[in-house]
Amino acid sequence: MNGINDNATNKKYKSKRKNEIIGKIFLYAILLLITICMILPFLWMLSASIKSNREVFVMDPFVWIPKQPKWDNYVKIWTKIPLLKFVQNTVVLTIVVTLLQLLTSSFAAYSFAKLDFKHKNKLFLAYIATIAMPWQVYMVPQFIMMRSMGLNDKLLAMICLQAFSAFGVFLMKQFYEGIPNDLCEAARIDGMSEYRIYAKIMLPLSKPALSTLTIFTFVNTWNDYLGPLIYLRTETKKTIQLGLKMFIGQYSAEYGLIMAGSVVSLVPVIIVFLCLQKYFVEGVASTGLKG
Amino acid sequence: MKRRLVSVMLSTVMLSTVLAGCGGNTAQGPVAETPAVEEPTEAETSDAGESAEEPAAAADEEITLKWAIWDKDITPYWQAIKDGYEATHPGVTVEMTDLGATDYMTVLATELSGSGSDFDVVTIKDVPGYATLVSKNTLEPLDSYIADAGIDLSLYGGVDSQVRVDGNLYELPFRNDFWVVFYNKDIFDAAGVDYPTNDMTFEQYDELARKLADPTFGSQVYGTHYHTWRSAVQLFGVLDGKHTVMDGNYDFFRPYYEMVLKQEDDSICRNYADLSAEGLHYSAAFSGGDVAMLNMGSWYISTLIASLASGEYDTSLCGNWGIVKYPHAEGVEPGSTLGTITGLAVAGVSDQKDAAFDFVEWVSGPEGAAVMAATGNFPALMNDEISEIIAGLDGFPTDEASREALSVSNLYLEVPYAEKVSEVNDILDTYHKSIMNREVSIDDGIASMNTEVEKILAQ
Amino acid sequence: MDEKKAALMQRLETEAAELMRQIRAEADIEKKKKLIVKRDSIQRKLTATRNNRRISRETKRDLVAYSFIAPNFIGFAVFTLVPIVFAFLLAFMNWDGSNAISFVGFDNFKRMPTDTFFLAALKNTILYVLGTVPLTMIASLALAIVLNQKIRARGFFRTVAFFPYVASLAAITAVWSMIFHPSKGPVNYILYKVFSVPQDQLPKWFSGSLVLVTLVLFSVWKYMGYYMVIYLAGLQGISAELYEAGSLDGANTWQKFCYITWPQLRSTTFFVVVMLTINCFKVYDIAVMLAGGGDGKLSTSATVLVYYIYQNAFNYWDLGYSSAIAMVLFVMVLIVTLIQFRYEKKLEA
Repeated sequence: MNGINDNATNKKYKSKRKNEIIGKIFLYAILLLITICMILPFLWMLSASIKSNREVFVMDPFVWIPKQPKWDNYVKIWTKIPLLKFVQNTVVLTIVVTLLQLLTSSFAAYSFAKLDFKHKNKLFLAYIATIAMPWQVYMVPQFIMMRSMGLNDKLLAMICLQAFSAFGVFLMKQFYEGIPNDLCEAARIDGMSEYRIYAKIMLPLSKPALSTLTIFTFVNTWNDYLGPLIYLRTETKKTIQLGLKMFIGQYSAEYGLIMAGSVVSLVPVIIVFLCLQKYFVEGVASTGLKG
Repeated sequence: MKRRLVSVMLSTVMLSTVLAGCGGNTAQGPVAETPAVEEPTEAETSDAGESAEEPAAAADEEITLKWAIWDKDITPYWQAIKDGYEATHPGVTVEMTDLGATDYMTVLATELSGSGSDFDVVTIKDVPGYATLVSKNTLEPLDSYIADAGIDLSLYGGVDSQVRVDGNLYELPFRNDFWVVFYNKDIFDAAGVDYPTNDMTFEQYDELARKLADPTFGSQVYGTHYHTWRSAVQLFGVLDGKHTVMDGNYDFFRPYYEMVLKQEDDSICRNYADLSAEGLHYSAAFSGGDVAMLNMGSWYISTLIASLASGEYDTSLCGNWGIVKYPHAEGVEPGSTLGTITGLAVAGVSDQKDAAFDFVEWVSGPEGAAVMAATGNFPALMNDEISEIIAGLDGFPTDEASREALSVSNLYLEVPYAEKVSEVNDILDTYHKSIMNREVSIDDGIASMNTEVEKILAQ
Repeated sequence: MDEKKAALMQRLETEAAELMRQIRAEADIEKKKKLIVKRDSIQRKLTATRNNRRISRETKRDLVAYSFIAPNFIGFAVFTLVPIVFAFLLAFMNWDGSNAISFVGFDNFKRMPTDTFFLAALKNTILYVLGTVPLTMIASLALAIVLNQKIRARGFFRTVAFFPYVASLAAITAVWSMIFHPSKGPVNYILYKVFSVPQDQLPKWFSGSLVLVTLVLFSVWKYMGYYMVIYLAGLQGISAELYEAGSLDGANTWQKFCYITWPQLRSTTFFVVVMLTINCFKVYDIAVMLAGGGDGKLSTSATVLVYYIYQNAFNYWDLGYSSAIAMVLFVMVLIVTLIQFRYEKKLEA
């Protein structure tokens, strides 16, 4: 910059800049620290997944990539337990649940947000009340009921449980309420049916909210542990989380393998997250989030 | 598909009826309405039975027995039993369902109490689980079958009496494991210490462990190893035959907790907190070659032989092993040990109970025992002949002491049947954890066991 | 047919007239409103009958609305609402899932005060909630404020912060139990080497009184990214003009936070705290996976309510007692949520 000018304003300007720079450096230092805390366990996981059992706990000297990386850890995990089957089950479950959730929630939410009808408030209250109800409170009766329907030990049971959540309806309704009513009114005057308004106007507009719901549902279903633990009993129906836990139990000393399995279980969720993340913050923002 | 839909709707309706009943007059409603809940169960069961019988009708008296087991892939004897039975019983197919080893009994209890279960024969993994199944009325009492078949129960060495419920027997044991001490001869040789013997007191055992331990970093050797199970410590206390884990007063655990914790403090054995944080399996500990002695069940013999043969374990680390009888307290006859039985039971919902019992009888009888022994496992029907088969297995230690260690003088069940056995079991587990993690002192831990178990037993 | 219609219209008209008179006479506004609603509905029926429509426009409108709700609501009602009602009833019953149900009144609840394991679970759960809720809230708010600045690679940092939430529990608890391993883990290694903590005093992160601390730390680490996203959304809703006005008045950063950011974020904070509280009361898998050791059993220092609910239901088959404990959990969540609602209302007023 122009260092020749030496008047007072410039000095003041310079010191302000200096403060700003110090502030920025401080900010980045904090961010770096947080990033390290957040990401270190994952890097450690990656590093341990290509180490032998002995190398995992060697601290002095600590190496991130061992001299002879054991890539075959990633091959072995598929043969030690039926991991492929677990992944298949989880993929099927997660996709079906997410699709059903998106479809039925946005459908119901449209009605709650844009239509007037009898008992609207009562019905919505029923939804809201269950959000405050921990699942564990009714998991036992739910289990008994599902069992009497013959749904015990079936993937269908997990689908039924997770596809119709109150949370999805609530989230989508909050978003739809943010979309001006005039849009719908105009369409109604043009003689569009409610179904067409939903399909042609609301759905395309709700991409951010849909991505948000997708991530929430996907992450929850993919990572659910207690649900599958109770409902899915036979080996061939288990999900990846149960598989991973089983793996940890059976091959407790094979740290490299456990970590490799963990890395594999992370990949799909991270891909989905990265694909949708640009909509994500926008989606949560527009739901208004009024408790 | 259609049928399922109907049954779903049916049971939903049933359920709402029950709920309505409960809501209306809670005082006697539920009792009266209970059959309604059970109804879909029966409907479903007969449904399942039908589908099982359909092929039977088609192919001339063929029977399919559905059998609940665990860990099919890593346990060799399930398949051997199935093959053996099918070979001698033409027309019978045994269909195995693997419910996984973790939570096996919980899974089974859930399956059997639910609708749609079509098991004929179920394997009973442990006594607490057995107690649950019996109290839920899901197993068939076997006494009349046993009388009809003329089975001599005395061959089972009295263990059957320890699992009788109100005088009735609901399972027949086919496998019987007992605790022994495994040791790594190479470590003893390197330290120049004599091998353990079949007549070893706890003092001698402790002394031996201390002699062998070497805390040098890098070449660390542990004198002994205790797995995280409470049995690994608590069972020492029941060896004298005067106490059982259902006693309600556990003061007799004290000396053994003292011994083990002292050993931990002196780095004679791995410490519990570490073991439980990393979830180290006992097999990984012993096969690592730095553990001189390991007290463990006889089931580990077949694993050890098989894993060494397949190259999964390094023979240079643990290939030279032996077993001796469990140590004993001063004044107690050596050779007393604790055992666990694995049994077979006939499911109450089965519609071919006679065929199912025939299978149970075969497996726990002499033919089944031979199959078990050939795979390196201990059948419940133990005699010298069976011991010979096991001691003659390829890979079994050749020394006389190991062979002799297989003969047991007194066998007590780790957990005998009692009404609240699941709850008591959990209490003992919990406080074992607290004591070993040093969350409470030994005295406080044992005092808590006493008060909590007393509460349960008083109910 | 026509006669019937005429009679019906006659009746409706008289009813409407009668209501009209009542409305005029009624002084209470609330009652008046109700009457007006009633008259409107009769009026609508009247129009419908006059125009010979069998289904009124309102009915049709309702049907359309219900058709939108039905797919979700049927699933929701069957799989969630019915079990909830059942849960309430079961708490007063004795049932093992197979034998006959019997009604036992409050017996299940009477057992609780003397049940050591229940009391331990209750205490641990409450301590866990008290530790996790404020810490997570503060951490996520701070993170959101930092990541709401105009900085380079903001997207990257946000993604990183969200990472632990996305990761599966079984996988990262395995990493944590190695990192915090009492004798071999890097954390204790650093404490030993750098801070020269003597070997026998190294913390045992997964047992004793420390286990709850570890659980809280882990939960904050895992969930702060999630609540950060919610706070970010809230922050974006605050108008920039407010801050500009604050700058003109010479407010420093801290003052701006106290007088602008914090009050403006009130409804977001309320949402965050409610969701956090509910989720924290539900803690189960974190405890089992971090503190369960090999067999997944929790000792009295780490046991939590949901673990005990699960234990009673699926190990002891004492479904009545299990439901009763679940009710206690629900009532606690309800009370805390209601207090928060009350507080929020008070602030609004």
